[in-house]
Amino acid sequence: MMFLVRCSWLKSFVVLGSLFLVVGSLDVSAFAANEEPRTKNPEQSDVPFRPENGKFPPLEKAASYRGELVFVDHATRRGSLRVEFKSEFFRSPPTPIALLPYGMVRYHGAPADLKDIPLGTILNIRAYLPPDPKNSSVVTSPSHYYPLPLENHAILIEDEPSLCLREGKTWKLKEVDMKNDQGLVIVTCESKDTAEAKSPEQKLTVDATTRFWRGRESLKLADLIAEGTWPASGKKSLGGQSVLLGLIWKPCPDGIFVRYHISDVWLDDPATQRAIRSQTEVHKSLIRSRWMPAFVDKVEYGKFGRAKVTVTLFGGMDPSLYADFKTAGQAAINGAEHTLKHTDGSYGPAHMASKGSILEVIKAPGVAPLGSSGIQVMMETDLIIEGIRPGRVVRIRAPDWPNVYIPREEYLGGGDDRFPSPKLFPIYR
Amino acid sequence: MKTFWVLGSSLMIASAFAANEAPGTKNKEQAAEVYRPEAGKFPDLEKAHTYRGELVFVDHVNRRGSLRVLGVGVFRRNDPHPFAMLPYGSIRYHGAPADLRDIPLGTILHVTAYLPPDPKLSSVPVLPVDSKDRDANHYRGIGVFPAENHVLLLEDEPSYCQRMGLIWKLKGLDLEKPPGPILATLEPKQGGDSKATEQKLTFDHATRIWRGREALSIADLIAEGKKSLDGQSIQLGLTWKPCPDGIFLRLHISDIWLDDASMQRSAQNQAEVHKAFIRSRWMPAWVDSVEYGKFGKAKVTVTLFGGMDPALYADFQKANTARINAAENTLKHAGGSYGQAHLASRGPIADIVKSPGSPPLGSSGIQVVMETDLIIEGIRPGKVVRIHPGTWSAVDLPREEYLGESARLEDRFPSPAIFQKY
Repeated sequence: MMFLVRCSWLKSFVVLGSLFLVVGSLDVSAFAANEEPRTKNPEQSDVPFRPENGKFPPLEKAASYRGELVFVDHATRRGSLRVEFKSEFFRSPPTPIALLPYGMVRYHGAPADLKDIPLGTILNIRAYLPPDPKNSSVVTSPSHYYPLPLENHAILIEDEPSLCLREGKTWKLKEVDMKNDQGLVIVTCESKDTAEAKSPEQKLTVDATTRFWRGRESLKLADLIAEGTWPASGKKSLGGQSVLLGLIWKPCPDGIFVRYHISDVWLDDPATQRAIRSQTEVHKSLIRSRWMPAFVDKVEYGKFGRAKVTVTLFGGMDPSLYADFKTAGQAAINGAEHTLKHTDGSYGPAHMASKGSILEVIKAPGVAPLGSSGIQVMMETDLIIEGIRPGRVVRIRAPDWPNVYIPREEYLGGGDDRFPSPKLFPIYR
Repeated sequence: MKTFWVLGSSLMIASAFAANEAPGTKNKEQAAEVYRPEAGKFPDLEKAHTYRGELVFVDHVNRRGSLRVLGVGVFRRNDPHPFAMLPYGSIRYHGAPADLRDIPLGTILHVTAYLPPDPKLSSVPVLPVDSKDRDANHYRGIGVFPAENHVLLLEDEPSYCQRMGLIWKLKGLDLEKPPGPILATLEPKQGGDSKATEQKLTFDHATRIWRGREALSIADLIAEGKKSLDGQSIQLGLTWKPCPDGIFLRLHISDIWLDDASMQRSAQNQAEVHKAFIRSRWMPAWVDSVEYGKFGKAKVTVTLFGGMDPALYADFQKANTARINAAENTLKHAGGSYGQAHLASRGPIADIVKSPGSPPLGSSGIQVVMETDLIIEGIRPGKVVRIHPGTWSAVDLPREEYLGESARLEDRFPSPAIFQKY
């Protein structure tokens, strides 16, 4: 585990209420393309951390690494990544990874589901050991052959623009060298606001597949060449233009260990904001139909199956989703698995739910740990069931969300569904 | 090369079924006997079964996945149905060639498929041959688990519509009221069709709108003062979201292309993605014949598979030094981590032969004749190979795209066991 970074330096990474805001020091963590992966931080602990059920884990205990998304089983919130390691990237076998129930995905600077992220995307990971190895949906010792992380239960998965937006970083385009419709771009990744030591230059590639976003325009490399801002061939200075980059990986020629490819360039802030809005709408629609995931904090039992249930909504969602929970509105709540699958079969979440009025919406003072929204919802129901006990994962519906049935793969129907087997993943030697 | 569009003219005879129409409608001329593609032959298009489905799961490395097949019953109840691409099966996305990895989960796809060529080696579950005529029960209806799960052509809505010469028209669309249902008709591009059946679709603020080089949202159109797109000829990208109010099936609009320019730009972008992909993974092909010489020398004739961008076929030029490697039916390279270029048999391209007339779907109609002094078992008539024209970059493939040195059976013949049984 010599390459893993545990983020004691990220004590200041906080979620304030429903907002995914970073406060304080942002001077670390973005390990740039071509830099040695998972550079060790001197403050990190060497002991991998195992989260406990019902508690949001401390972020400083998380391992940090990045890799290419190779495989997705979105219904079970897991997939595989080709993790950067100190060798030829193409030899790194896909290593399985699962999202913690409160684990968050960010894409284009907005909340996302695994299904929203194209295969091939380079993702940045914060992860822990499996909370309960016996029930892990991914292998608990990923490889005997490669130095891959044991910490494969993620609290945060984010693409490159999401990481840069969160950490207040920007990519600077220094120079491009075009040859045969392929470009080699020299870039640096720098902090937007604070003066810092000169960032190391890195080399990335562009080609005709790279998308450029400028305001409301979706441009191609050929468009920029036609405008004269990029050269058709040869070298040209790009003047340190500040942009956000989407990164993927393609096999590299000439024996290069790893060189990332630029899939997208956001040339200005309006273009970035448009990408954020688009992804936010996709995710809002998903959560309104699948319901908000939460932990049960406590249950005050009444008579004849009645109870007051207090839950903490998971973090990382759009603020408008949290705002939909209002006192006196009618909520519905269901047991869910750690994969966030609904547990109640084909009858449908609304049909099987325990219903009742929202008594109170409580915003915790201060900052919430990553994974939590810091918002508690207290509701009363006359149907308290086993799936709604302290520490359990639930899905809760806000009053005005649509009443829909979910597709077959997203609810339990048999024994295999409850504890998905890690056998899905091929073992590479 | 006879272009894909030439093939389109023959495909147009076969299988157009519109949104909300019963899928898997049997072609009355379709032969009743059990038909399976044979190794080394491109199958008869008229024997294919066609249907539609939502892409739910992808194992792109093994060229397989799962679809929720559209039927007449309650769509959400339909279990994801495994499918595998035939070695010569092609994929189209945004009107251009694609790989499975390029298609977002949730996309509605049109499928042209057959029974497994060899059920023993199928990488997806093998079903009774009459499955498409069986009622799946539990309100799911007939045809949602067809045994024809080996795919010759997989294409998204704009690809299908462009191939068939169809356009969408919207009616009663109130942009200010998403996610309301809207009426849409699918009509021939030329001539219109006043009798086209109206269908209900939905849109919302996540719907992307493409106009020329602009990427717009519903909010942008409203800000421009637009209230409706009524009567405008457009292309649609379709997905599915769970429907309220007990509706069995209503598809959702993910993308609207308002003009030809925007559609062409999307197609160009996807074509570039796929060209870069094939140039690094090499062109798949079949070995037609081998004329053996002495001391391992041979003249090998291969037919390049179809559905690629013409620029890729044009890269094969006489006298260039080509490279050829054995591949699996999944198109995986068979040569382990030493890399495809390292292990390839090399030799000059002796001839490029373009067959007259329209080639069958799956074939490019282009044969490459090359000489090599390293004829191996993987390069025999009927075998699948990958061929490099000599001018493409030499790269090493990622681990999951080649067979391991241990040649585990699972790598060579992927098990259908990964597909969950619901």
